[in-house]
Amino acid sequence: MIEIKNIYLKIEDKEIFKNFSVKISKNEHVCFSGHSGKGKSTLLKIIQGYVIPQNGIIQIDGKILNPENVKSLRNLMSYIPQNVNLPVENLYELINFIGAKNYEEKIFNILEILKINKKEATKPFDQLSGGEKQRIIIAFCLSLNKQIILMDEPTSGLDNESSNIIIELVKNLKNNTIVSVSHNPLWWQSCDKIIEL
Amino acid sequence: MNHGAQDISVFSLAIGFLALLIPILILNYFKIKIIKDLAISLLRMTLQLSLVGVYLEVIFKINNLWINLLWIIAMILVTAWTSIKRVKLNLKNYIFPVTLAILISLTLTNIFFIGTIIRPAYLFDARYLIPISGMILGNSLNHNIVGMSTYLDAFRTKKELYYFILTNSGNRQLAIQPFIKESIIRALNPLIAGMSVMGLISLPGMMTGQILGGSSPATAIKYQIMIMIAIFTGCFFSLLLSIIFANKKLFDKFGNLS
Repeated sequence: MIEIKNIYLKIEDKEIFKNFSVKISKNEHVCFSGHSGKGKSTLLKIIQGYVIPQNGIIQIDGKILNPENVKSLRNLMSYIPQNVNLPVENLYELINFIGAKNYEEKIFNILEILKINKKEATKPFDQLSGGEKQRIIIAFCLSLNKQIILMDEPTSGLDNESSNIIIELVKNLKNNTIVSVSHNPLWWQSCDKIIEL
Repeated sequence: MNHGAQDISVFSLAIGFLALLIPILILNYFKIKIIKDLAISLLRMTLQLSLVGVYLEVIFKINNLWINLLWIIAMILVTAWTSIKRVKLNLKNYIFPVTLAILISLTLTNIFFIGTIIRPAYLFDARYLIPISGMILGNSLNHNIVGMSTYLDAFRTKKELYYFILTNSGNRQLAIQPFIKESIIRALNPLIAGMSVMGLISLPGMMTGQILGGSSPATAIKYQIMIMIAIFTGCFFSLLLSIIFANKKLFDKFGNLS
């Protein structure tokens, strides 16, 4: 599903990846861990075509990532960043902004599983805690029905109880390829493979 | 009531410079090192305005369509060049899109305000075309610099937001929307705030000039209101178009800020 072959990436005199390769099969959940600065989050950006290595190949769904197909390949993905300040006031505005009206019911269903009811979820974002916002973003992205889900530190800012709920939810996603980055040993339980960078 | 303002002799003007002596002495006493910058700016201002005075005397006298247009194009080029330099973009890559943006916004604003509101006997009359364009361009320059810098800085500091929207929506126009919004708010807010206190805190320059030049306050006020709307419209379109036209060069083939 995702194959990174012999990439070389240098950013501002720092070699981030040197002949790095990894293969992620369809519907596999792979988590990258390791010390900061090792390029874990960068790897998620490489897969999305936001960071382009100086050398090497990125192959997604059998196609080599290039300027011509980057848009269609990104359409296979959903990206859950670690921290993002949304440009909208609440979940309804986010749904309208991204054009996800068709997924509204699914979003609220996932939010129920994540223990956030509709009333809570539609409050202005500035009245929600960091953990609640994180769960809303996760529910939103998971509902988009994308084949590949990229998650950057999905449990950061969450207590153990919330983390466990998300872990259980992700464990049950059998038809998605999930690439995550996490330091959290709890999260690793939801993964098929953990790769230390 | 259309007699010009009392002329100021060169000698009197030179005496006017003496007003700066006390601030300069105080600046010097406290070792605030802006005296050199002030001196250079005063010299430049005096030289530039004297030259412009001479040019404008000639241009107003000739009042030829092509010379007037050439003057406007020179003003547009200087505005574009200065904004690109101040935003620290590559001049070669951005001079065309930014010049085009300013040219379109100024042309539309002038056609509307000079052509349909002021309606002078001669549409390209230097007396209207050059000062009004100058006011719009002067303001566009400042607001373009603030707006473009905000736009670029926002991309550098809020990359995650751009990635989040682009990957999840698949729509690049949508992904740049929050950044355009932020840039417009930051650039135009001072103009909006300025308009709201106009007449309360100060009499605006153009209006004061017109009254000194012999116009009635009623006429001066109407011109001032019109020019403020023209400035706002001109600045808005100039910034928006500069961003839209520059976007082609700002992003690489993968849709990343280059």
